[in-house]
Amino acid sequence: MNRRVRELSERFGIPAETLDRLAAVEEQETVFVGTPEVMEFDAVRPMRRGIRLARVYPYSLKPTTFGMQVLGGHATRNVIDLSDEQAKLLINGGSLSTDVEADNGFVLVRWRGFVVGVGFYKRPVLKSQIPRFRPVE
Amino acid sequence: MLTRKFPEAFVERYSRFIPDFDAFQDAMQRPLRRTFRVNTLKATRDQVLELMADLKPEPLPWFELGFSLPENGDSPGEGTRPQSDATNASRMCPQREDARYSSHFPSIGKRIEHFIGLVYVQEAASMVPPLVLRPQPGERVLDIAAAPGSKTTEMSAMMENTGIIISNDPSPTRVRGLIGNVDRAGCMNVAVCRMDGASLGRAVARTCDRVLVDAPCSSEGTIRKSAQALDRWSVAAIERFPSIQKRLIIAGYLALRPGGVMVYSTCTIAPEENESVVAHLLARQPEAELQEAELPGLKMRPGLAEWEHESFPEAVSRCRRILPQDNDTEPFFLALIRKGDSSPHPSPLGGGGERSEGEKAAGRGA
Repeated sequence: MNRRVRELSERFGIPAETLDRLAAVEEQETVFVGTPEVMEFDAVRPMRRGIRLARVYPYSLKPTTFGMQVLGGHATRNVIDLSDEQAKLLINGGSLSTDVEADNGFVLVRWRGFVVGVGFYKRPVLKSQIPRFRPVE
Repeated sequence: MLTRKFPEAFVERYSRFIPDFDAFQDAMQRPLRRTFRVNTLKATRDQVLELMADLKPEPLPWFELGFSLPENGDSPGEGTRPQSDATNASRMCPQREDARYSSHFPSIGKRIEHFIGLVYVQEAASMVPPLVLRPQPGERVLDIAAAPGSKTTEMSAMMENTGIIISNDPSPTRVRGLIGNVDRAGCMNVAVCRMDGASLGRAVARTCDRVLVDAPCSSEGTIRKSAQALDRWSVAAIERFPSIQKRLIIAGYLALRPGGVMVYSTCTIAPEENESVVAHLLARQPEAELQEAELPGLKMRPGLAEWEHESFPEAVSRCRRILPQDNDTEPFFLALIRKGDSSPHPSPLGGGGERSEGEKAAGRGA
């Protein structure tokens, strides 16, 4: 397993078997994950292979919203469950105060069992890391 | 309903071959239902139905993952249209939404379910080509004109996020939308390319199990969504497309492995962009086998035998036309083509149209 993927897997308690069938590459400070066929495809040079899993910074690894929406479904650690109103608040770029069992740092935020994206938790403040697209109502 | 008349030339052309033309005109003036597809890469059908129960989605009779939404209760106003997948509309229609129409249909785009990719807003007829192509898990599939990605994401789910879909669009603007939708849908089996379709067909020649050529077209089908589409309609607009369509169908066929299967589709009515393009392929590749596409619960009509001064080979009747009065969708055309097991390597361009600048520069395909 790619060491960046392993790092995320360990932080969020994602079972290794969920990631075993996937391949990962790191290009331009970004980790992409996809099927082995996609990652090995070399007939032409694609603009994009698979989906972005994480952004690599000098001292941290920032998981992406869309990557975690797909792979975070099996997470067992550092996941914060949200109510409807809390989910809308975070998707729309807001923050909230909540005292939950999670390590400080990047966490997954979950709504009705589905991972919505990523937040940054510094007890008790949970700050949205979700890119703003169209507002959710 | 739209109350504006169709152009005389439109009526003259299409009343010649569209059966029950009055019913066709009535259907084309009715606003299009808002429809969506459950994305099984992220949720099950039952989960989505539970989350979206307040909208009272109604299943499409021919696709268990496709749903339509009832209107909000008021009758839609004149010249209105729904927000829908822009697969076809955006090729010709710079506008994306008629606000007068939207108010009559529940909005999906601003719901959490949409944001996290549990559902994909997609016109019902646009869901058909992948269902006919039937990509399987582990296969290699080419979607040669893919943006904004409705069919790529649908096929990705059908393939259970395995194998590879080479998803291409030459437009820098449109390919950004394609990547966004691939991300939102959670497709890990997609390689996005931004290439001339003919060049890509050569690069992956004889390697693909299935190919979708959902060709750029004059988008006459989008008249139900856009009054402006009717304003822009002209025979001259139709004449812009057959050249590129012929290049793409040849390129798609070239990409198929022997025994592989291809779907050619458009959301337009013009025979020049449909049966004529398929006949062009058959003339260039006589071993190509046209097959009859079937989808239980969906009424489809056979392809035309002739148009103006052109008589089509008998096999062209196996093409399928989806008419708006039959299933309450946009008009659509599709052809299901199998590559013969002993298919020779087709000429790179197939004589289907002009070469791109890149091809000329490379000096290939002459």
